[in-house]
Amino acid sequence: MSNEVVVSIRNLTKRFGKTVVFEDVSLDVHRSEVVAIVGPSGAGKSTLIRCVNRLHPFDEGSLQVLNHQLNKGSQFPSKQVLNDIRTRVGMVFQTFNLFPHLSVLENVILAPIEVKKVPRKQAIQQAMELLDMVGLSEHANKYPKRMSGGQQQRVAIARALAMEPEIMLFDEPTSMLDPELVGEVLDAIQRLAKDGMTLMLVTHEMQFAKEVADTVVIMADHRIIEKGPSREVLENPRTGRAQAFLKRVLNPVHATELEREVAVGHGGGR
Amino acid sequence: MLQQWVQYFPDMMKGVLITLKLTGSSLVVALVFGFILALMRLSTSKTLNLIGTWYIEIVRAVPVLVIIFLAYYSLGNILTLSGFTAAVVSLGAFYATQYGEIFRGAILGVDKGQTEAASALGMPSRTIMRKVILPQAFFTILPPATNQLSNLIKDTSLVFTIGISDLMFQAYSAASNNFLPLDMLLEAGVIYFVFYLVLSKLLARWELNVQRSRS
Ligand SMILES: Nc1ncnc2c1ncn2[C@@H]1O[C@H](COP(=O)(O)OP(=O)(O)OP(=O)(O)O)[C@@H](O)[C@H]1O
Ligand SMILES: [Mg+2]
Repeated sequence: MSNEVVVSIRNLTKRFGKTVVFEDVSLDVHRSEVVAIVGPSGAGKSTLIRCVNRLHPFDEGSLQVLNHQLNKGSQFPSKQVLNDIRTRVGMVFQTFNLFPHLSVLENVILAPIEVKKVPRKQAIQQAMELLDMVGLSEHANKYPKRMSGGQQQRVAIARALAMEPEIMLFDEPTSMLDPELVGEVLDAIQRLAKDGMTLMLVTHEMQFAKEVADTVVIMADHRIIEKGPSREVLENPRTGRAQAFLKRVLNPVHATELEREVAVGHGGGR
Repeated sequence: MLQQWVQYFPDMMKGVLITLKLTGSSLVVALVFGFILALMRLSTSKTLNLIGTWYIEIVRAVPVLVIIFLAYYSLGNILTLSGFTAAVVSLGAFYATQYGEIFRGAILGVDKGQTEAASALGMPSRTIMRKVILPQAFFTILPPATNQLSNLIKDTSLVFTIGISDLMFQAYSAASNNFLPLDMLLEAGVIYFVFYLVLSKLLARWELNVQRSRS
């Protein structure tokens, strides 16, 4: 992790109509830092990382991504700024979102050719290297629907990496996968972390967050309730709300009791 | 009797050629204009949206024959359009409403995650439409589009009313020579049927080929 801040989120507020998704969220992400974002469903985790590559606008606060200041409101930034952010920030989705009409190789080379104008030959060569890295070079000519979820997600990672991003956003990349396929995707992500990629990762894999992330952020009740070094936050959470959440994910059967107590203690839950 | 069928067959073929040209030209106009209408209705601009919606609502409610007459007798006089051009414009304008709605539905039918994934890769909206959305909308578009094509072919027969010598016109004038309207119209009907059959088979094969190439 370096001292350079690549994503700076300051007092960010996001609403959909009148519903507040999150409020007053602040977070700095440094180059090569791995930030894991955890928290209960509906806390606004996905929405937060989608603001970073401007898939969503935000309503209040300020957001700086790679030296570009994004303005609040629904007005898009200029074409150059948007293009620069989107090419330098890659994203991997929960549902893979591979292009079903294209082969694996075509999925990976499409954006480099169309957006970066990389010559086809060179794009193919680079794509094959990436597919090799995620262990799928033998499947280059297959179509996504003929692959397992884990394989599809690894293709999605290669597709995002083909743009040579500096930051990668992951939105619950393994939560649609059968348990036995989770490992292969987490391995690929861990490799990126080791290579010094900056990662913002929404996940429910607490063990992975503890081992791979530098920083863990817990979101709940429309805000960040706790953030800090991963081990510290996950092993000794300070707030009752965070303790309840972690207890529930780590020990799903017996924790609802405590959760209810804490929620009442906070003046009503969801 | 069969002799009459054979005798007028060459004339009918001349008519088929015109019908074919008319169908092709109107289809191109309808597809291009229909796509523009779909984009207007999908756009975030309120004005474009409203114009597109009203155009579609009004034009598709008017009988095609009325549009053809309007184009030929009013527009045609002012702008001195030929009968053929007037026919292409009217059929194109009418069928654009049908194709516009087909395109719009198909584009909306493509999973939102596809646009998001493509945007996240930095693709501009034009590229997303061309490389991601439309290729996927293809299979949703083709069946209803083929359907509308059969209607378009049949509606080209209306243009004999403004003196274009299409297949229908040939059948009509043959009948006024040999006084066998039933035979001549039946012959034309059979030719229309074969014409559509060949086209729809070709389109179905195209669909199959694309399907095969993507698996
Ligand atoms: N496009 C939208 N329009 C309206 N409300 C939305 C939209 N997207 C998300 N929301 C709402 O915003 C809130 C936060 O959603 P978000 O998907 O960010 O949560 P999350 O923390 O990622 O949850 P999960 O773990 O279920 O993915 C939810 O209450 C959701 O209903
Ligand atoms: Mg989410």
